[in-house]
Amino acid sequence: MVSSGSFAKDDAREVLLRSAEKARFAAQVDADARTLDQLLDDGLEYVHSNGELDSKKSFIDSLTSGTRDYVSSEASIETVRIFGDVAVIRGKAKVTVADKGQSRDLHIGYTDVWLWKNGGWKMTAWRSARLPDSPVK
Amino acid sequence: MRQRLLPLLFLCLPLIALASPRGDETSARAALLARFDAALRADVAALDKLLADDLEYCGVSATCSTKTQYLESVRSGTRKFRSLVPKVERVTLFADSAVLTGNVYAVSIGDGTERNVDAYFLVVLAWRDGRWQMTNQSSTLLTAKPLT
Repeated sequence: MVSSGSFAKDDAREVLLRSAEKARFAAQVDADARTLDQLLDDGLEYVHSNGELDSKKSFIDSLTSGTRDYVSSEASIETVRIFGDVAVIRGKAKVTVADKGQSRDLHIGYTDVWLWKNGGWKMTAWRSARLPDSPVK
Repeated sequence: MRQRLLPLLFLCLPLIALASPRGDETSARAALLARFDAALRADVAALDKLLADDLEYCGVSATCSTKTQYLESVRSGTRKFRSLVPKVERVTLFADSAVLTGNVYAVSIGDGTERNVDAYFLVVLAWRDGRWQMTNQSSTLLTAKPLT
């Protein structure tokens, strides 16, 4: 049996989760290493839609060095589910990346998993795949 | 009074544990491997038990299915595999849930053609009704090419 207190707690944590997700997308565009360090779990597995795998360190390094350059991202959350201290977000995003002087638009479907640690959400896994209408290259 | 109740409580602990067993890493791995095996055998009855009613199954094409849609695709043969070889790389356990990541090599059959599929998977299991149930699987393709 779930008490109304638990529902209220999950509602409050969902608000924080949505806020953290929005802040993470913004921090990636801004290459804001400090914010990403706070929002990403040390055990992060970030699998890009092209199959490349990043750890927390390699992901942040790629953004701050400019190897990976997100020009803009527009995400829409489709579902948010919280299972105790684990949360799953599923959504879609339109991402523009700069690649060798040219910009590319990607339309992806994504799932990310967040953990509730020390009073805050940390993203521990990301999987994405190109949607059928996304450019192949 | 407290002195009388404490021994009674300790005597009851094993019974409480038996009444509400918890999932562990071994059983989480086993549940996921059983799910892959059931998918390979197109065993809809087994999948029905292993999948949560609120399943979100997102394939390598980024399209997502509900449990009903997923089971129907298995039943109808739309989703069919000649082989499925999963490798679980990481299991992170929580009170009532587990997050598993790894990769799977599959040979899928669709529209009369076979495809090699090499993908990373991300799975979330929830401990409900005394067993692990898969609530989410999301995959990213590494390579996909027709068999020659």
